[in-house]
Amino acid sequence: MRGPVMKIEDIAVRYGDCWSIRSATITLEPGVIHAILGENGAGKSTLLKAAAGFAPRVAGTVRIEDGRGFGAQDAAGDPKPQAWTNAIGMVHQHFMLVSAFTALENLVLGSEPTGSFGRLDLAKARREAEALMETTGLRVNLDARTSDLAVGERQRLEILRVLYRGARAILLDEPTAVLSPLEAEELYTTLGALAEGGATIAVVTHRMDEVLRFAGHVTIMRRGRTVLSRPITADERDHPKRLEDELTRAIMGGEPPPEASPPALAEDAEVALSIEDLVLVDAAGKRVLDGLCLAVKKGEIVGIAGIEGNGQRELVRAVAGLEPGVAGSIVLGGARLPAVRSTEDLRKRRRAIAVVHEDRHADGLMLDATVGDNLVLGELGQIDGPAAEAALIKRRIDRFGVNPPDAARRAGELSGGNQQKVVVGRALDRIEASPERALVVLGQPTRGVDVGAAATIHGAIVAAAEKGLAVLVVSADLGELRRLAHRILVLHRGRIVTELPPTSSDDVIGRAMLGMEDA
Amino acid sequence: MNDKRVRALLPIVLAIAGGILIFNLIAFAFGEAPASALRLAFEGTWGTPYGLGQVLFKATPLLFTGLAFEVALRAGLFNIGAEGQLALASLVGGLVASKLPASLPMPIALPIVLATAAAVGALVAFIPAILRARRGVHEIITAIMVNRIVDAILPWTFTTVLGSNSLRTADIAPGAALPRLDRVVPSFAGSAASFAFPLAVVSVFVGMALLERSRLGREIRWVGFRAEACRAEGIDVERRLLLAMLLSGAIAALAVSSTALGYKGYYELGLGAGAGWSGIAVAMLGRGKAVGIVLAAIFLGTLEQAGLAVNARVPKEAMDVLEATLIVLVAVASRVAAKGSRAATNEGPEPEPPRDKPAPTPASEEARS
Repeated sequence: MRGPVMKIEDIAVRYGDCWSIRSATITLEPGVIHAILGENGAGKSTLLKAAAGFAPRVAGTVRIEDGRGFGAQDAAGDPKPQAWTNAIGMVHQHFMLVSAFTALENLVLGSEPTGSFGRLDLAKARREAEALMETTGLRVNLDARTSDLAVGERQRLEILRVLYRGARAILLDEPTAVLSPLEAEELYTTLGALAEGGATIAVVTHRMDEVLRFAGHVTIMRRGRTVLSRPITADERDHPKRLEDELTRAIMGGEPPPEASPPALAEDAEVALSIEDLVLVDAAGKRVLDGLCLAVKKGEIVGIAGIEGNGQRELVRAVAGLEPGVAGSIVLGGARLPAVRSTEDLRKRRRAIAVVHEDRHADGLMLDATVGDNLVLGELGQIDGPAAEAALIKRRIDRFGVNPPDAARRAGELSGGNQQKVVVGRALDRIEASPERALVVLGQPTRGVDVGAAATIHGAIVAAAEKGLAVLVVSADLGELRRLAHRILVLHRGRIVTELPPTSSDDVIGRAMLGMEDA
Repeated sequence: MNDKRVRALLPIVLAIAGGILIFNLIAFAFGEAPASALRLAFEGTWGTPYGLGQVLFKATPLLFTGLAFEVALRAGLFNIGAEGQLALASLVGGLVASKLPASLPMPIALPIVLATAAAVGALVAFIPAILRARRGVHEIITAIMVNRIVDAILPWTFTTVLGSNSLRTADIAPGAALPRLDRVVPSFAGSAASFAFPLAVVSVFVGMALLERSRLGREIRWVGFRAEACRAEGIDVERRLLLAMLLSGAIAALAVSSTALGYKGYYELGLGAGAGWSGIAVAMLGRGKAVGIVLAAIFLGTLEQAGLAVNARVPKEAMDVLEATLIVLVAVASRVAAKGSRAATNEGPEPEPPRDKPAPTPASEEARS
């Protein structure tokens, strides 16, 4: 199955008044993994959509050339040829699966094999699906309910679905943002095999190390333009540092910001937060937190690593006071925190603890409200009049460099990185002004966030620790934890299994995340 | 900005144009020369001072119920119970007004009656509100059921408790009556427009401004945007939901000012019926702006009055059909306009994320990198 060559020439895409792509030229050839890098809002996702034929182009051409003889060409505005739709499959950043269906049902959704009178022929679907899994090596339990599948499995299912429809070009939008390092590696192995088999593969990512290790061709986008697009030679992969510097400069359009490092920690710093024997049982009776213990000193940054779904989200929510069923003790500044029974209790806790939840769209932001409203969410009672509020909003926008710096803009219109700046900015700026401040808990503070925004957020986290706050960072990005944290705790099945120094290698941390304690 | 405003008004204009067309077709079907029926409808509404007064009279309760629906909608609640809230509030308000001593001056009597009605409206709204806030029972279902209960209670109260055969309360005390507008605009003479109209318009503007700027108003809107985020940041979501629904009920109840207090001078069964339903259309057509709500209420008031004006030649039912068709037209047209502006700001053709509330505003889509 040789994939098509996709030639995208000088295209421009506009949504309303906003240019998403000003000028992009890229040739995607079968055989290697094409990585597309760039800051949030640089137009990476749009580029993929344009290649798949979804984006409203105002200029340029997309040419699909296939070894088997069809050459579909499409200038701006022309209808998209049917062959195009079939040949190209896109895996979106947020999965497009029906969670109540079984994996098999999702796999064939939209191109179901049918018998007489349109009856769904699931037996045939199963045979075809199994043949497909055999040839690609992608394995999914076809009978599991999709909602029960792990994130990595769901992703494999998405890829299988695309292949099932006969796609020979696969475009993936930030496929590894939700994966653990091991799952990500597995994904790239699969993609590499598909590419070697002749498929055309393009991946949008934020993670530099993935590009350095797996990509055969890299394209950098900055502010709607392709600023660099070239193959990566095996030679260069042996000296990744130089390549990394070149790519980072191309992404940023200048010198990269200094990397954050944890502030010096006094030997005799007292313990600020101590969690003992935290237990939480979910609705299905599973112990999502299972006797979790940890302690954080004043001014210390402690990182929590772990494979997705091992209790990270619940830990953050329990400390935040949003899990009423939690048992065990959380001691902050020497006093045990009382259970949260009312909103008043919650507000009291919020004066001592700043929280950033891992899912900013679900728990952090009001996408339809303005940036200004989002920046003062929950604080109206403490702000003294509209002038003070406007000043506070302006200060937070300036301090965190929210771009565009417009308080009246709808939060949903911001790029992911700037949305995250709003959420983190609100939490950190507020806690630093609070006289009872003690602790900051952050879930995935830079997930899906570009290098520049991540540097801002890391700087603010370090600044909070320097002010004497205890900081707990839960992250799937080991590089982030290694840079920021004084210590890394590994969470596995609802409890802390190991403590590691930040100098530990990915391999060591990764094995601990799988529960191999003797690693 | 200006361009945006034009785009928002366009569907209304299109709908009215479509409405005139349909009106002509209907009139023609009933054997009328289209233009003459149209002239008749115009003379009965905007063409004469009396007609204009009647339009304002018809629009007044819709202003209250439209605002009431809007307040709940901002919190993400669909207050379909305004009909029952208004009906029971009107009965109790009318009863209280009729029991007040005749000598009580207006500055005392009127607030007593309005406050009582508002309290009763809030009380009726309390049932769906508390069930939604505490137990998550969907307010549409409970509100519909409460409407039916009120429907049953009202005639029963008249016949059994009040022992009245005429299904009406006694005349209200003069202090509780709102004067007619013809006191200040003599040419309105004969029309039923009362001071309830300016009261309603002021209520809409004040209410919308409070929703936009006051702490409680903003927090109500924020809960409507994303209750989870509000809960996480220490806003009492339950209480805001409860408050929005109670306010909605109370505001809907104020429509009694234009019917029993400003027009009839007593409450009778069925007085003001339908205003609760039309309020939904008013809020939807008003598109979340005070001016929009006022215009939409006057628009629907015009339609109702036009129906009466041509009643002799074209059956009232035909006008009801026209009204319903027009509302559908505007609703469709505004969806089209909203889609156009959404495509302008968002990225792709992904499906909308599931939302647990009926979204009158363009549904949010996640802006991505």
